Amino acid sequence: MRNSFKVGKWEIKRNIKNKSFIISLFLTPLIFIIFATVPNLLSDNEDQTSATKVYMNDELGVWEMVEPFIEDDPMINWEVVPTTDDWDTMEDRIATQANSAYIELNEETIDESVVTYIAGEGLDPAFDGQIRILEQPLKQIQLQQADLTEEQLQLASMPIHFESIETDEGATGEIEEAEAGLGADPFEKGIPAIFAGLILFSIVITGMMIFQSASQEKKDKVAEIILSSVTPGELMQGKILGYFVLGLIQVGVWLTFALPLAIWLLEDVPVLEYLFVPETAILVFIAVLGYLLFASIFVGLGATLEDAASGSNFQGMVMMLPFLPVIFIGPIVSDPTGTIAQVTSYIPFTSPTVLILRLAILDKWPWLEILISIAILLVSIWIFMKLAGKIFKVGILIYGKNATPQEIWKWLRA
Amino acid sequence: MENVLSVHNLEKSFKKTKVLQDISFEVNKGEIMAILGPNGAGKSTTIRNIMGIMYPDEGEVTFHGHHGEGIPRHKIGYLPEERGLYKNVKVMDILLYFAELKDYPKEKAKKRALDYLKKFGLEGKENASVEELSKGMGQKVQFIGSIIHEPELLILDEPFSGLDPVSQEVFKQEIKELASNGTGILLSSHQMNLVEEMCDRLFMIHQGQKVIYGSMNDVKAEYANFKCTIYGNNELRQLETIPQVTRVEQDGLTSILYLTQDVQVPSWIKQIPESLNIQELSVDRISLHEIFIDVATGQSIAKEVGDSHA
Repeated sequence: MRNSFKVGKWEIKRNIKNKSFIISLFLTPLIFIIFATVPNLLSDNEDQTSATKVYMNDELGVWEMVEPFIEDDPMINWEVVPTTDDWDTMEDRIATQANSAYIELNEETIDESVVTYIAGEGLDPAFDGQIRILEQPLKQIQLQQADLTEEQLQLASMPIHFESIETDEGATGEIEEAEAGLGADPFEKGIPAIFAGLILFSIVITGMMIFQSASQEKKDKVAEIILSSVTPGELMQGKILGYFVLGLIQVGVWLTFALPLAIWLLEDVPVLEYLFVPETAILVFIAVLGYLLFASIFVGLGATLEDAASGSNFQGMVMMLPFLPVIFIGPIVSDPTGTIAQVTSYIPFTSPTVLILRLAILDKWPWLEILISIAILLVSIWIFMKLAGKIFKVGILIYGKNATPQEIWKWLRA
Repeated sequence: MENVLSVHNLEKSFKKTKVLQDISFEVNKGEIMAILGPNGAGKSTTIRNIMGIMYPDEGEVTFHGHHGEGIPRHKIGYLPEERGLYKNVKVMDILLYFAELKDYPKEKAKKRALDYLKKFGLEGKENASVEELSKGMGQKVQFIGSIIHEPELLILDEPFSGLDPVSQEVFKQEIKELASNGTGILLSSHQMNLVEEMCDRLFMIHQGQKVIYGSMNDVKAEYANFKCTIYGNNELRQLETIPQVTRVEQDGLTSILYLTQDVQVPSWIKQIPESLNIQELSVDRISLHEIFIDVATGQSIAKEVGDSHA
């Protein structure tokens, strides 16, 4: 183990001093920032110019009732102009103005329950939905005019709630959450998941560096010198350990960029409060398991290749394994408890990513599934480490050629 | 003499082929022992089995009373045949890493590294990147890496390959010096002249089996018989009738007469027939180089000598 630490320390030192590592270390978050901010800046501009001009002929005083809500709602961007002009003059005016509308609210609206409006050319397609904000106050006016008692009025205007009472102890908490959850904050679950995802992404990237490193070790023919002092197992463990720390260093650097940015961009979200919760620890644990799995696969694979560029399809396919979950993202997001989501949680190659993704979406964590997945992951890590050790031991000392899948199979059976 | 390493009845197979069979030899303190043989004879495999990079199917490697996996490998220095250095690192960093892997104190290693760099004409290169070094410089750094921790046993697999004559000489002197300071050295090489000059004992291996094992002087006395080279127009048949000639090789006007082991050169010269056409004549011993080639091509002088005795 002590030798593994020496190897690990060396790999860290060697990479930290390497220019390309440093450049990618700082360039990657920079690219992320650019991707995160540039579209935002562009869409901000769009928002300012594209406020929908709404002419409102309001004889009922509805506007006064909804105005505070509209101002709070980030989804509705209206520039309301009160008007008393009649339908015909407005029709002409709207026709010449882009993204504008004319709404008429009067006794007729109340009697017939129909809001008529003129939609101008290039009107924001979301306007159809936005206009529904007027529904509630109009209904209220209708009810008031229906000569109901105060009680009846209240009952009629109250929306129907659906409450579930569960038999287990957590039930009360559940309801509270559900009630508060109407405006449920996607960030509360999302931030730990994004954090874990970032770690997983980063260490999968460094996992690929392990592949490079093992293959480079072969190419530079240093392996035999090193193996005269340490065992192949120690060398392999040292590499896995070293690149794990490098991955964490990478995450650390990225976070120093990302955290202030996140706090700044998401003003209303208590980012740090959401981040430091027990859930984060579990998600990070899953991410680390994912790293160990891929790292052991890659380190074994790297030992079979002298020149990464000339790898066969077989090695290329194995390299793609960490990206396998991308195929399933669609079905999993649309149904996080569905069959696909469950099955992919149990397949070791997809389970780290899928688990993190699902746990970010699900309100109630399927603990049994999580435990089974983690157990499967642990067992597969143990198996793959063994197999990688076998491949590494033979592969790292074979010079001048790449190993074929048949040869690798032979080593595994040896 | 104190025994540093002993290899006993080593046997190793890859798949169904036996690559090593009944290999036994010793390396003593302060001696240079050569392991010789053509390509693919099993030299590197033997060395890898000693270094614990492979484990033998049969037999035992003993280092200072330790066996197998218990061998304290930090007391052994190793320069493999297939060798290189990490590219984008500094010379001093990689040397210190090698020393660290051998549990050698850092400060001492630093000092030794600087001393050796100076000795090998690489003064001031300690902060250079490995990429900037020429091939020869790289070899020197690798050599320093293998001895930085003051090993008791140094195993050098083809240390001279790819070196120019000047560097070869530097290496030769350094290896001799290490031996005289008490390091046991096991060396494999194809440069027979160098081996002949510097080695105390040798072990020749062919197709995984021992061919010759003994001290350089004994081997020379036993196998390096005299040969007489005659330049002139002579009949093969006539040359073969000369007493104490085991074999004659003729190539144009040059004839080489291989003589028996017990030949007395002055008396043998006297009995050369006067009818021979001799433009030039020389008598010398068969060199290690020739023994090597004979072994490698399967002719085996040793065998023919034995035959002639029979």
